[in-house]
Amino acid sequence: METFLLDWSILIPLLPLVGAIVSGLLMTGQRKPAAHWPIWIGVGYAAVHSLLLLYGMISHASAAHGQAVGFVEPYWTWFAAGDFVIRWGYFFDPLTTVMLCVVCGIGFLITVFAAGYMKGEAGYFRFFAYLGLFIFSMTNLVMGENLIMLYLGWEGVGVCSYLLIGYYYEKPAAREAAKKAFLVNRVGDFGFALGIMLCFLAFGTVSYFGEGVGTGTGLLEIAGGAREGLTPFQITALQWIPFLLMLGAFGKSAQFPLHVWLPDAMEGPTPVSALIHAATMVTAGVYMIARCGTLFVGNEAAMTTVATVGAITALLGATIALRQFDLKKVFAYSTISQLGFMFVAVGVLAPVAGVFHLVTHAFFKALLFLSSGVVMHAMLGHLDMRKMSGLKHVLPKTRWLMLIGCLALAGVPLLSGFFSKDEIVAAAWHRHVALGAVLLFTAFLTAYYTFRLYFRVFEGPQLVPTTPAEDHHAPADDHAHSAHGHGHDDHGHGHDAHHHNHEPAIMIVPLVVLAIGAVLAGYLNFPVHALGHFLDQSPSYQQTEALAHSLYGEPEPTDPAAHYAFMGISAAIAIVGIALAYWLHLKDRRRGEALPQKAAPISRLLEAKYWIDEIYQGYIVEPLRWIGRASFVFDRFVIDGLVWIVGFVPQLGAFVLKYTTQRGYLQGYAVTMLLCIAVILLLIFGLW
Amino acid sequence: MNELVLQHYLAVGGILFVIGLIGFMTRRNLIVMFLCTELMFQGCALNLIAFGAYHGNLGGQVFTIMVLVIAAAEASLALGLVVLLFRHKHTLDANAWRELKG
Repeated sequence: METFLLDWSILIPLLPLVGAIVSGLLMTGQRKPAAHWPIWIGVGYAAVHSLLLLYGMISHASAAHGQAVGFVEPYWTWFAAGDFVIRWGYFFDPLTTVMLCVVCGIGFLITVFAAGYMKGEAGYFRFFAYLGLFIFSMTNLVMGENLIMLYLGWEGVGVCSYLLIGYYYEKPAAREAAKKAFLVNRVGDFGFALGIMLCFLAFGTVSYFGEGVGTGTGLLEIAGGAREGLTPFQITALQWIPFLLMLGAFGKSAQFPLHVWLPDAMEGPTPVSALIHAATMVTAGVYMIARCGTLFVGNEAAMTTVATVGAITALLGATIALRQFDLKKVFAYSTISQLGFMFVAVGVLAPVAGVFHLVTHAFFKALLFLSSGVVMHAMLGHLDMRKMSGLKHVLPKTRWLMLIGCLALAGVPLLSGFFSKDEIVAAAWHRHVALGAVLLFTAFLTAYYTFRLYFRVFEGPQLVPTTPAEDHHAPADDHAHSAHGHGHDDHGHGHDAHHHNHEPAIMIVPLVVLAIGAVLAGYLNFPVHALGHFLDQSPSYQQTEALAHSLYGEPEPTDPAAHYAFMGISAAIAIVGIALAYWLHLKDRRRGEALPQKAAPISRLLEAKYWIDEIYQGYIVEPLRWIGRASFVFDRFVIDGLVWIVGFVPQLGAFVLKYTTQRGYLQGYAVTMLLCIAVILLLIFGLW
Repeated sequence: MNELVLQHYLAVGGILFVIGLIGFMTRRNLIVMFLCTELMFQGCALNLIAFGAYHGNLGGQVFTIMVLVIAAAEASLALGLVVLLFRHKHTLDANAWRELKG
């Protein structure tokens, strides 16, 4: 491992931050159209550095022959209060480098796409400044060497998410969605903060590996040590820490019951939905549980909770997605569902499968979101799949890209989503049949709703909306005047009003890269478990596994034949789902449209999203609002009244004095003075 | 006859002071009131000198000279003010200026 890569790793977060400052403060006015350059340079550098780190880590890990590989890179003491010393430092192991490549690599592709997508927007510089800030926070989150650094990044990405969801702040829905995302995350982060505090109270440190891997000075190594070596308080704390940390993960990764913010977050610009709300930020919870596995694994109830909540969320997200008509909303619920898969993976002690799915999902979901961004751009802001149909001739390139993304998401064999999803389902089945069955059913629903969308939007008779959507943010200059972004596709849709190029190269090229990733990412871990072996050399994983073995015994070896059988079942399920979608939404659409009437109660339940928002509104928001009103009245009349009295009494005294003694007679003043002096003298001498 | 002792001087000083005080509180003519303050000054100065002589040092006289100098300076200022006030209202009555109470 080249040490200069580690020594200069601080540039990974720093350059995007500098880019954000430059874009946000200097790239205004005339320079606005160039606002993407600082971010491209910053994030591009971060991506190159991350890839070099990954390469270095792979060569180092293969030389280490299965031993744990991890480097602590402390820079300086961030702050210190007594025993509570927090270093600004980074930790590098296979898990960190994989996460970094996902964040910076996909982040870079999305910033390139965004330059085309956001062209001509009034807030162009602001958008890119936020993106830079997001990459700064997210890289700190995955690179930080202690929980406080993680928390810094955690809150930082939360703020960026808030700012970017509310990017169109003149739109009430965007403002509300931004506030909702921030507040729902606060609920989870409250538990997360308590968990970090408890970690410090119980173990005296929040650094993952302290001075280095194997020194036994870090939180994960102390907590992962033999149970006999722990004090009773530490044992008790370990009962609570996982549940508290889990709350943070549920909030950030939109797991039931804190998933409600993610669908609304789609009010943000589409590149944001792709980057933050599909590929990177929402996977922070999975990363955190994978990283802190030793804190979770000793607590069987916590692991079961993670897996169960993941399975519930997977099913919930997939079922709601069945009855959504907005492209981005379908993908948002799909993201929730896929995050549920990842949580099941970490919950059933298969963090490799979870991170594998995280990587493949980042590729295909970013691809799907950005493709729907292209659709939205071309369809004048419309995203409703009832208003469009047969777009394969209008958007010929996007159609193929979307098809690749849909195939990967649906879990069609040989594409990335198939392998990663299959590993999770197999691990879940191995743990408990019910978990596996729920995930298999969810996989079926996934294939169905994905291809319902695809067949509705891209196949069938052509239907293109002609009037712009109400909230369409059309830039004043269209793409015909753009400096870059002239693809060479045929303009085969001259009959409609807008005949400029819908698919500029600046938007299509990043999508092609993502599509290649969506196809090939699965082969990272199949047929050879390359990614698995690499991640297994992360000290977090090794210690988690060692602790699990000492607590629950050696796992039974999985039968490779059973695994292949599983692959067959998954493939069959995906194909059945797609066939059903084909039958209901392409071959005979009337049948598909009649279906909801036949099962009206279920359809209503799904369209209302299980009334979860309404339940929150009725049982949490409204009571809180009433408490707020009561507090307001109490504050206004009791507290303010007391304060008013404190001010009023001296005022009253002064008023009385003024009208009794201050009358303007000089002699009166003299008499008063004399009397007062007399009283003072009497007090001093007379009462001595 | 009885010799003059400290108490006699103090009594004269006190009487001067009280005369000045009563004059200040009972008269409304600005000049008379000013004269009364001068009387109080002199009562105090007499006290200082008496104590100085009693203790056999010059401290009392030094203070008295100070008081006289300040009184002289203040007299010139105060009389100037009185003249100004008189020009405004053509009266020396202190109560003519009651509205200054604010």
